[in-house]
Amino acid sequence: MFAAVPSAALLGVQGHPVTVEVHASTGLPGFTVVGLPDEVCREARDRVRAALISSSFGWPNKRMTVNLAPSSQRKVGSGLDLAIAIGVLIADGQIPPGCVEGYGFVGELGLDGSLRAVPGTVSLVAALGAVRPVVASASHREAAVIEGGGVRVGESLRGVVESLLGEAPWPDPPHEPADQPDPAAADLADVHGQVLARLALEVAAAGGHHLLFVGPPGSGKTMLAQRLCGLLPPLTPETALAATMVHSAAGVALPSGGLVTRPPFRAPHHTSSIVALVGGGTASLRPGEISLAHGGVLFMDELGEFAPSVLDGLRQPLEEGVVRVARARANATLPARFLLVAATNPCPCGGGAPGACECDDGARAKYVRRLSGPLLDRFDLRVPVGRPEVDDLLVGTPGESTAVVAARVQAARDLALMRNGCLNSAIPAPLLDTVAPLDAKATKLLRGEMERDLLTGRGYHRVRRVARTVADLDVGSPEVITEEHLVMALSFRVRLSSLRAGRAA
Amino acid sequence: MSALPEEASAATLAGLDRMTIGRLTALLAGNAPSAALAMILGEVPPSGLAAKLFDIDGLLATWRRGITQHPPEAMWEACVQRGIGVLLRGGCDYPAQLDLDPAAPAVLFVRGSFTSIMGRRVGVVGTRNATSAGREAATTMGRDLAAAGVHVVSGLARGIDGCAHRGALGIEAASPVGVVASGLDVVYPREHRALWDAVAERGVLVSEAPPGTQPEAHRFPLRNRIIAALSEVLVVVESRETGGSLLTVGEAKLRGVLVMAVPGSVSNRAARGTNDLVRDGCPVATDATDVLVALGLDSRRAGAAIYDPRPRPEGADAAMLGLCREPRTLEQCCLLSGRTLVECAMSLARLEVYGWLHQVNGWYEAIGPSGRGSAQ
Repeated sequence: MFAAVPSAALLGVQGHPVTVEVHASTGLPGFTVVGLPDEVCREARDRVRAALISSSFGWPNKRMTVNLAPSSQRKVGSGLDLAIAIGVLIADGQIPPGCVEGYGFVGELGLDGSLRAVPGTVSLVAALGAVRPVVASASHREAAVIEGGGVRVGESLRGVVESLLGEAPWPDPPHEPADQPDPAAADLADVHGQVLARLALEVAAAGGHHLLFVGPPGSGKTMLAQRLCGLLPPLTPETALAATMVHSAAGVALPSGGLVTRPPFRAPHHTSSIVALVGGGTASLRPGEISLAHGGVLFMDELGEFAPSVLDGLRQPLEEGVVRVARARANATLPARFLLVAATNPCPCGGGAPGACECDDGARAKYVRRLSGPLLDRFDLRVPVGRPEVDDLLVGTPGESTAVVAARVQAARDLALMRNGCLNSAIPAPLLDTVAPLDAKATKLLRGEMERDLLTGRGYHRVRRVARTVADLDVGSPEVITEEHLVMALSFRVRLSSLRAGRAA
Repeated sequence: MSALPEEASAATLAGLDRMTIGRLTALLAGNAPSAALAMILGEVPPSGLAAKLFDIDGLLATWRRGITQHPPEAMWEACVQRGIGVLLRGGCDYPAQLDLDPAAPAVLFVRGSFTSIMGRRVGVVGTRNATSAGREAATTMGRDLAAAGVHVVSGLARGIDGCAHRGALGIEAASPVGVVASGLDVVYPREHRALWDAVAERGVLVSEAPPGTQPEAHRFPLRNRIIAALSEVLVVVESRETGGSLLTVGEAKLRGVLVMAVPGSVSNRAARGTNDLVRDGCPVATDATDVLVALGLDSRRAGAAIYDPRPRPEGADAAMLGLCREPRTLEQCCLLSGRTLVECAMSLARLEVYGWLHQVNGWYEAIGPSGRGSAQ
C-alpha cells in the first residue's frame, strides 16, 4: 500500500512543502526514512513507532519506506512526525486514505502518543498552502496567525485519528488568555536630564539613523536604548508577519495576540558568536539576533567587546536589510532590517572628563581601534552621554513622555515617506540637494568643517541626512535646512580619538 | 682592544644586565673602564671592591655573557655611527652640574653637547595625560623661559614634557636639555622623533643607557633623578596624586632644588598632585615670571604677549567660553548657562570654528592663545 500526506519543513525562516510518502511492501520487516532527513528527522522512526504502539495502533509487520519529497532537499526537525505516523497508518491499511484528504500535518510526537509544538509553525502552516492545517494545541496561536479559524488542533495521535475518522469532533482550540496590555513599557519620562541623548533617540526613531552612545559606565546608555522601541510606530502588516515568522522559527514566544506588532528589542550579550548574531548553523539555518530584531531595535552594549568578526558580519545586513546565509547544502535569505543602537565606553576605564582617564595610551588606542572605521561610519549618530548631574536625578523635572515624542516621530516619518519615499537615513546622495537643501549659512558651516578636515565625503552626506531629520522634527518642519539644524546634526557626531591625551600636546 | 678609547669599555659596562648605578660606580672607583672589563673577564685579578661584587651569585657569569654579546668594539661602533657621545664621570666633558650629585651617573650618553648649557636651568615636568589647559601652560612656560635665556630641562615624554620642549624650541636661541630613559637611538614615544632631533641639534639629549636600550619602566624613575639633578628650579605643571612627576619632585627635594607648582582647577583630576603640592606649601608658579623671580633673574626680559588673531567672542559666546575653562559637555553647558540645547550648540560651534575650543569624545576644552599649532 502507498500513502502520501502533506506536511512542511523549515529552512531558515521559510517553510517548504514536503510530501511524506509511505510505502508498505512485503519483505524483511523494517523502517527506512529517505529523502535527506537530518538526525532529528531520522529519529522520527523511533518516536513514531513508540507513539503508534502507545496509542494502541498496531505496528505493521512489513517493510516500510518513508520518502520525504522533494528528496533532494534537506529536512530538518521533528515537525514531520505526525505526517509520518498518519502515513504509516494509511499504508498499513489501519485507516482509509480518503480521510486525510484536504488536511496537512505539522507536529512532533511524544513516545506516549501526545502531540507537541515545533518551532516555526507560522512558516510551516504558511507553506502547507490550501490544505487545512492540523497542529498541536500548543501551536494554535502560531498557526492561527496564518490560517485564522481554519486550524484544526489535536492533543494526541489517537485524538487526531479519531477526529479524522469522524468518530469524535475536532477539539476546540485552547482558550487564549485575553490580550494583556503590554507589560509596563519603559517610558521616556523616567529619563532625567540627558537632553542631548533624548533628542538623539527622537532623531534616530524619526529618521531610522543608527545610533552609537559614547559614555562612561553608569551614564544610562542601556536605559536610553530600551526606550527607543516605544518611540517607533507599530509594525506594518508585512513587517509584522515577517517578524512573527522569524520569532516562530527561532522558537521565541509570540505575544498574546499571535502577531508581533510592536517593534522587537533584542540585546545580545557581547560574547555572542557570529552565528548567534547573524543566523546560520550547518543545516537548520536558524535566524540570528539581527533577524529577531527585524523591524525593531538591536542593542549592542559594550560594542568594542564584541569579536571583530561578529562586528564585520553586521556590515552587509546593515546596508541591505537582509542577511544571506549560505551553506554547502542550503542557503537562506533572512530579513534583518533593524535599527542598530550601540553603546561603548570612551576607553577601558570609562574615562570621563579630559585628564580624568587612567588608561595608558596603548590600552586606549587598542580599545578604540576595535571599532573599525567602516563600522563607525555606519552610525549616523554618535552621541556623548555623561553621568547625569545629581540635581537632575533628584529634583529635575521629568522630560516629555514617550507618547508625546512618539507622536512627533510618527509625523516626521510620514513627512519623510511622502517627500523621499523612504526614511531620511536612506535618502540617496544624488537626491540630497532636492529633498534636503541647505541655506547659505549652513552651506558655509559645512564647507568650513570639511576644510578643517573634520568631515569626510561620506560623513558629509550623513550629516545632511541627519540635519534633514532634525529639521523635520522642528516646529513647522521647514523645507530648507538652516544653520541651527546643521549644528545639532554636527553635535551628534562626537569625535572619538584614540590618542586624546597621548597626542604630545 | 688597546686601540679602543676607554669610553668604549664604559659603554659596554653600562649596558650589562644587572648593572645598577651603585655597581657601576663601585666598579669604576679607582679603575679605568678597560681595567674593570679585564677584571670581569678574569684577565686581571679583581680589586677589593670589585671582588666583593663578583661574589654575588651568578653576576660574573651574566656580565661575561653580556660582554661577549656586546663587545666594546660593537658598542663603540654603534655610538660613533649614531653620533652618540660617551661621557665618563671625572672626564673634562662631564657636566659639572651632575658631577657634584650624590647619585651621579658614572657614564652618560649624549647627543649634542653640554658646552652649550652654560646658563640657568629649569626643569618642567608633568603628566603624560594632560588637559588642554595643562598643555597650554607647559608650552607657554617653556617658551617664556627659553625667551629669558633659561635652558628648559625635561623628559621628552608625551603631554607636559613634550609641550615644554616644544614651547622652548619655538624661541630661536633656545638650547633645551632632554633627559630620556631609553637608548638615544630608541625614540620613545615614537611620534616625538622630530622633537628629539630638534633638542639634540640645538641643545643636548642625555641618557644613562647605551644605544639600543628599550624604555623599560624601571628606567624612568632613574631618568627623573637626572632631571632633578640638572635643574635649579623644578616646575610641575600638571600631575596626578600618584604621578611619576611626583617622583621627580621627591628627587628634587632630596637635592634641595626649589620645586614650584602650577595650580589647576580643584575639579581637574590631572592637577590633583600639583594642587596637593600647593596645599603642602609649595610655591606657586602661574607663569614664567614667577620662576624667573625665583631664579633671581630680571623678569622684564620675558617675551611680549603674542598677537592673538582669533576674533574675540562676544555676549553669550564669551560666557560660554568662560564656562569651558574646565572641560564641559554640551549638556553641562546647557544646564549651567540655562540656554536651550540649540543655542548652546550654536555657541560652541562658533567658538570651535574660530579656534577657541576643541572637542573630543564629546568634551569641549578651551584652547589658549598659542593655539592649535602647538596643541595638535
